[in-house]
Amino acid sequence: MTSVQSEDNSSLIYGDDFDDDDESIDLYESQTTATCSMGDTACHKLNSLVSQESEFDFDEDQFSGNESDDELLVDPMTLSKKALDDDKGGSSLKYECLTTQDILDRMLKRVHHLQPVFSIPSEDILVLMQRYDWNEERLLEEWTEKMDELLVEAGINTSNPGDKLNITMRGIKHRSDFNCFICCEVRSTETFSLECGHEYCIECYRRYISDRLNEGNVITCMDCALALKNEDIDAIMGTPSSARLMDSSIKSFIQKHNRNYKWCPYADCKCIIHLNDTSYLQEYTRLHCSRFVTCKFSHIFCFGCGYGMHAPADCNVTMAWVKKARKESENLNWVLSHTKECPKCSVNIEKNGGCNHMVCSSCKYEFCWICSGEWGPHGRSFFQCTMYKNDDEKQKASVENSKKALKRYTFYYRVFNEHEVSAKLDWKLGQTVGQKVKAMQEKMGVSWIEGQFLAESLQILNEGRTVLKWSFAVAFYSDASHNLTKIFVDNQMLLSNAVEQLSELLQIKNPETTMKRKSEFYNKAGYVRNRTRALIECGRDLLRKCICKPVD
Amino acid sequence: MASLPKRIIKETERLVSDPVPGITAEPHEDNLRYFQVTIEGPQQSPYENGVFNLELFLPDDYPMEAPKVRFLTKIYHPNIDKLGRICLDVLKTNWSPALQIRTVLLSVQALLASPNPNDPLANDVAEDWIKDEEGAIKTAREWTEAYASKKDQKSTN
Repeated sequence: MTSVQSEDNSSLIYGDDFDDDDESIDLYESQTTATCSMGDTACHKLNSLVSQESEFDFDEDQFSGNESDDELLVDPMTLSKKALDDDKGGSSLKYECLTTQDILDRMLKRVHHLQPVFSIPSEDILVLMQRYDWNEERLLEEWTEKMDELLVEAGINTSNPGDKLNITMRGIKHRSDFNCFICCEVRSTETFSLECGHEYCIECYRRYISDRLNEGNVITCMDCALALKNEDIDAIMGTPSSARLMDSSIKSFIQKHNRNYKWCPYADCKCIIHLNDTSYLQEYTRLHCSRFVTCKFSHIFCFGCGYGMHAPADCNVTMAWVKKARKESENLNWVLSHTKECPKCSVNIEKNGGCNHMVCSSCKYEFCWICSGEWGPHGRSFFQCTMYKNDDEKQKASVENSKKALKRYTFYYRVFNEHEVSAKLDWKLGQTVGQKVKAMQEKMGVSWIEGQFLAESLQILNEGRTVLKWSFAVAFYSDASHNLTKIFVDNQMLLSNAVEQLSELLQIKNPETTMKRKSEFYNKAGYVRNRTRALIECGRDLLRKCICKPVD
Repeated sequence: MASLPKRIIKETERLVSDPVPGITAEPHEDNLRYFQVTIEGPQQSPYENGVFNLELFLPDDYPMEAPKVRFLTKIYHPNIDKLGRICLDVLKTNWSPALQIRTVLLSVQALLASPNPNDPLANDVAEDWIKDEEGAIKTAREWTEAYASKKDQKSTN
């Protein structure tokens, strides 16, 4: 494998142990546009709201700081230690965030690079590369073995070059009274043919090509194996349509290398995370951790299972939970997540903010959205609503048991859902936070950097909520009688409490009040962050000690 | 109904005026995109002396899209399943607008002459074919006799 050292490679650490066998192209060449390393501003085009530059190094702290200290010293796996340490350093993570265009650009660069080796036009090399699924090594191997055959096979040369009579000019011609053998119409029209002389009217060709642009394979002449080049496609279509073909070709490349490339699962996000060395993912699994990656739009997801950020649950718990949720609660889903009756006057209430402190608009009753209990005690002491009260203990009949199981599940599912909905509403809140920062800048002359505490708090709040959400999946699969589970539940309450307080703080509409209470934001956000970490650690303990076991 | 593309008219005309030996294809009177097809079993194959009924439909996008072809007569063949669906490259990925109804039907006939159990559609048949080729060929002959014999065809027509 040729490894080309690049000029502007400063933030990359690749190239030393590059031996991935099914990798075709040295993708670790200079990539200035989308190298995603935490804290590297260049790649973050995202709106300034949810800045990755937050002090809150979620990923890093969570997966290296704590891990490498205790676990890996006990069981030093050099590889994973190295990987985790890399995270710890913070300068660069071992993955990068790309788009199909980025990957294509690299491929094109390789094509350009290979041009002197092949000494055929770049367009032809592009056809060859597509044919070989962008596997440069295999292509080069076969090229040295059987160059001429390869050129015929790939449709670059005609199969019988001796047959000079047949060779016609490639390209578009204008013909009068042309009889097209595809549509069988006779008329004056533009036509297209390759050197093979299979000439058809341009409209048939257009229909033929547009059907095939999304398939990602080389498009050939309608009657033989001769390949159409990108310039032919663009000429026939009259628009730069070959870009679509290239895009689909890269997509099929990603599909074939799905161990190293993962699409960001967020809706409409076109990012691809590329992880070169997947060998240490197993180590993550063994430690009940997950490799969370962040795309350049700050979407965090798990490289292992493809779901969103799901700490403290590991991938097994996550998948078991999602499967169960799909099976049992499709119908519950909407009702639970969208409306609730006021516990006092039974008016149907839809939640429109992230905070769980509800005030009924008709009777003014204050209650907690999660447990429907009075709000009063929530603010001061622990959140009792995060604990499942097992009060049916003495029921014996199996019917009762299954009922209980469902009830128990419904409880956990409901809280899980509540936090998901809250998280979504918090996200909406984020939009207004942006306006708030702007308003503060205009009104009070606050500098951008000073206003950042709001965005940071929001980020921390989001992460806290996500962790809280998934902690209920962990709690569901945990042995409730175990002491550690009880500690875990206590931790949930603490985080829940902290999250609600921060959420409430963020609801403040008046920028002046917000500014005045800035220190409170710092305190509360810091507290949420600590509680989040504690809960993650505690959850991981449950998993490691097998107190939490996912079962169907 | 949208008028029939010239291409289909021409192909139909040629199928009638210059038929392929051993193959007939007639458009249905109500729908000129729907063809009733018969294919004679190739000589020296287990399908010899059989006449197989098929249906062929030209989709709206024809010739950009391949015609849909299905066996109506029961047949014991590793690349044809119980429903009569055919596993043949030119009907799927290798379709090209330059191919025609007649070339497709010739390909189907060729498939009868050379079954390919390594790329099966009917897994059970293919397994028999690999394990005990002689026995499978015998079964194919029996099926041809039972379901596709020329006499039966005439009486049902």
